[in-house]
Amino acid sequence: MPSLLRRIKSKMFIFAHRRTLSLLDGEYGSVFKGRSLDFDELRAYVPGDEVRDIDWKATARHGSPLVKRYVAVRRHSVLLMMDTGRNLAARSLSGEPKKDVAVHAAGVLGYLASRHGDDIGLLHGDAAGSKYIPPRNGEEHLERLLREVDANAPCTGASNIAEQLDYVLRYLKGRLLIVAVADEFLPDTRTVSLMRRLSARHEVLWLTIRDADLAPEDAEKALDSFDVGTGQGIPMPLAMDATVRAAYAAAMLDRDESRRNIFRTVGIAEEQTTGSEDVLTAVFALLEKHRSGAMSARSSGKDGANAG
Amino acid sequence: MELSYWWILPLAATAVAIAAWLSRRRRPSRNRAIAHGGRLTDLPEYQRALRRHRARLALAVVLGAVFLAATATAAARPAQRSTEQPEIRNRDIVLCLDVSGSMTSTDAAIAGVFQKLAKEFDGERIGMVIFDSSSVQLFPLTDDYDYAAEQLKQATEALDDGAGSFFDGTWNGDGSSLIGDGLATCVQSFPDTEGSAAIPGDSKRSRSVVLATDNFLSGEPIFTLEEAATLAAAKNVKVHALNPADMDYGDQPDQPGTQLRASTEHTGGTYFTLDSPDAVPGIVHKVQETEATSYTAAPQAVVADAPALPLGIAFVAGAGLLVLGWRLEP
Repeated sequence: MPSLLRRIKSKMFIFAHRRTLSLLDGEYGSVFKGRSLDFDELRAYVPGDEVRDIDWKATARHGSPLVKRYVAVRRHSVLLMMDTGRNLAARSLSGEPKKDVAVHAAGVLGYLASRHGDDIGLLHGDAAGSKYIPPRNGEEHLERLLREVDANAPCTGASNIAEQLDYVLRYLKGRLLIVAVADEFLPDTRTVSLMRRLSARHEVLWLTIRDADLAPEDAEKALDSFDVGTGQGIPMPLAMDATVRAAYAAAMLDRDESRRNIFRTVGIAEEQTTGSEDVLTAVFALLEKHRSGAMSARSSGKDGANAG
Repeated sequence: MELSYWWILPLAATAVAIAAWLSRRRRPSRNRAIAHGGRLTDLPEYQRALRRHRARLALAVVLGAVFLAATATAAARPAQRSTEQPEIRNRDIVLCLDVSGSMTSTDAAIAGVFQKLAKEFDGERIGMVIFDSSSVQLFPLTDDYDYAAEQLKQATEALDDGAGSFFDGTWNGDGSSLIGDGLATCVQSFPDTEGSAAIPGDSKRSRSVVLATDNFLSGEPIFTLEEAATLAAAKNVKVHALNPADMDYGDQPDQPGTQLRASTEHTGGTYFTLDSPDAVPGIVHKVQETEATSYTAAPQAVVADAPALPLGIAFVAGAGLLVLGWRLEP
């Protein structure tokens, strides 16, 4: 049985030639402000670790930066929140099916979490309903989650991430690190308010899988399209029309801008990936962004009451 | 309008249906799934372009259908079937002119009128006989109208002048104005309708003699007027007589005018008296009218291919399709 996780890992190690995986570990670790007073160990500083974790005395003795590690008070729970509605059947910007990109992104994030020893849960579904798999530890569990997504996505129901957001807010207690994997939808007011509430209650990272370009530049790729959501067809000659394309480009700029604004106002770090190739880059950038966002939020909050 | 190969049409319809079915089956292979199509489809520019595109497609469909229908119709060979009843003007007219001294002006008028008429003839045959004491056939029944007109012209001139060699051969007999002989000669110049020499169809031609004479007989003719008239009736010839000098006294049957009238009416013809040669054209037209029964031949079915209309439509539709295809190409 070919393992989804193994495939994802192998892709990650190809990536590792360009950028050390430990860098990702550092970034991931920094996202969790899970510290306790129980000192665990000192380890070498990895770029991405928070500067304030550096044990300056030990560093001075040792000659190279060392980071203090604590035994986390509790295990963190990472929740992969995925939209597995009909929209997942469509193409991503890179041309791959969005489902493959989503599985890959979930695998990368889950692998990082499992290396960190965190529990990983899954919440996925469509507008009709959500399916929740509670967080558990271990790569086997992660593999199961990935299979769940791979086997069930795309559902027949329409996509609506607001359902999953609602589910989390309604039923899941305790602070979670939520990694949302969704496509390039434009949140409506209900979704925006749910996102705002979610980001207040949990740590939220948002990975957007970019949707296919509807007016592609090269005529080679230009095929007739059909909308998996509505079933509406888009004839290729129309998408190639110069005025339509110009209007589309302008509308997309506006749309991206408003999406960015929404994520900024609700305080969720969001990063985009075009396909499974740049999932790692996107994840790295996302973690970085979240950390810096959290830092800035914390510094503006003047040493918020508790860091963990 | 009817179709020679009507079975092409159901064949073409079947072919179109099969092609449509095949293309429908093949269709879903080349397109891609996308999400949030509203990003593009909600744009007013796209809506406009879509409406335009739809209109073009609809037009293309209509043009294509018209093109197919027109070419299929053209392939089925539309033909125009009509029944024609060709009107045949098949009269034979022999001018039978008494060229005795008193008649020349009338003769000239008659020849002049027929000279003009000959130019309008189409299918008629005309012949001319002049007689005095003997008869001369100036030209036999002919449809060579140029020749007839030329002869009639010469005759008109000669009759006007009253001199020359034109009248040669008309004084060979005894006496003058042997009207019965002259009429008999005229009647004989019609071909036989029976026997081996008969030309098929000749019996259907109407025959008339325009006889110009004053019926002043001097001499001993071989045929009397009555005998000649009987001969004419036997050969189905109508004799129309023009008498410029009807000076009968009373209604006695031996008066020349009355005799002439009786003879012509025996043949089914008409009798006219003339006061002056100027009246000749009117009388000749009257004679023409009485004879102008149009003979219609048996109805003939004529089948002619009429591909111009469907092919023209197909051409226009095809040209429109080309232009549209060029416009639909991105």
